[in-house]
Amino acid sequence: MAEAPASPGGGGGSHESGSPRGGGGGGSVREQDRFLPIANISRIMKKAIPANGKIAKDAKETVQECVSEFISFITSEASDKCQREKRKTINGDDLLWAMATLGFEDYIEPLKVYLQKYREMEGDSKLTAKSSDGSIKKDALGHVGASSSAAEGMGQQGAYNQGMGYMQPQYHNGDISNV
Amino acid sequence: MEPKSTTPPPPPVMGAPIAYPPPPGAAYPAGPYVHAPAAALYPPPPLPPAPPSSQQGAAAAHQQQLFWAEQYREIEATTDFKNHNLPLARIKKIMKADEDVRMIAAEAPVVFSRACEMFILELTHRGWAHAEENKRRTLQKSDIAAAVARTEVFDFLVDIVPRDEAKDADSAAMGAAGIPHPAAGLPAADPMGYYYVQPQ
Repeated sequence: MAEAPASPGGGGGSHESGSPRGGGGGGSVREQDRFLPIANISRIMKKAIPANGKIAKDAKETVQECVSEFISFITSEASDKCQREKRKTINGDDLLWAMATLGFEDYIEPLKVYLQKYREMEGDSKLTAKSSDGSIKKDALGHVGASSSAAEGMGQQGAYNQGMGYMQPQYHNGDISNV
Repeated sequence: MEPKSTTPPPPPVMGAPIAYPPPPGAAYPAGPYVHAPAAALYPPPPLPPAPPSSQQGAAAAHQQQLFWAEQYREIEATTDFKNHNLPLARIKKIMKADEDVRMIAAEAPVVFSRACEMFILELTHRGWAHAEENKRRTLQKSDIAAAVARTEVFDFLVDIVPRDEAKDADSAAMGAAGIPHPAAGLPAADPMGYYYVQPQ
């Protein structure tokens, strides 16, 4: 039986102690795994304020924690959906569905464009490297799942029918990292 | 009995039936009595009430429109998916922290990379609004707390931001009524509101 979506308080045990970081400066390996790099976050934050604005370190650290919570929040909802549908792999459509369900409707349209462009690029590279791909069967199964979630998404979320049409995913990647 | 005239006078209102035909040789003047029934028959439609919207709300809506238009422009210009503003491996590790998560498609961290960037931009932008209200040029933790307190979609972050700072932020929050949004079933009220206008 699928568990209920994890509440924000579930992971808040370490945060309730005030400052989860024991010391300043370089973080431990454990902390590095829990958060995204603060330098990357700082660069993005600066794009949201005027050029002469400054950002305090504690603000950067707070946003750093918020981003990890955002990832866990969306991932948990997407994971629950995959379990209900007896699928094992979380794909991009599952994340978009979870974001729409949890109130981030405004993120969906830009991300659909982004995901579509990414898949088109992956499709081009996949055609070239198709002979070396040892998980074609897995991809096929994943594609079926992606189509199912896409169809369900269009049925449930009116936002999917607004603006540009929703393109059926042509390719689906298994658990293979292209980084 | 009333005498019937062979040529009845034409109705004063074109195409409109008159409740009572004015008999010829009436004792009262026809002028004031002809307009009154017309006014009664065709009352002017009530003026549409002015929509209650504050200038602050309008400005916020406009800024939101600009924000999302910029997001579309940036994504359309994206051609390189190998260099991300956020490391994909780290995103995957955070996703994997959930024990229920089994397998993650390669596209999932890519989507999150962009989604997290939007999230950071929105959270920072709303925090900066609070800093400006307090005449400061440095974004502080309390500004992030204020943004979380004011925005319903950020309710899942209330445990991340210390309550004392959130409480201070609540007192500083503006009283303008916003548009409610579904946020994971949380019944929190939103004093500020967000996403007034979505770009089409």
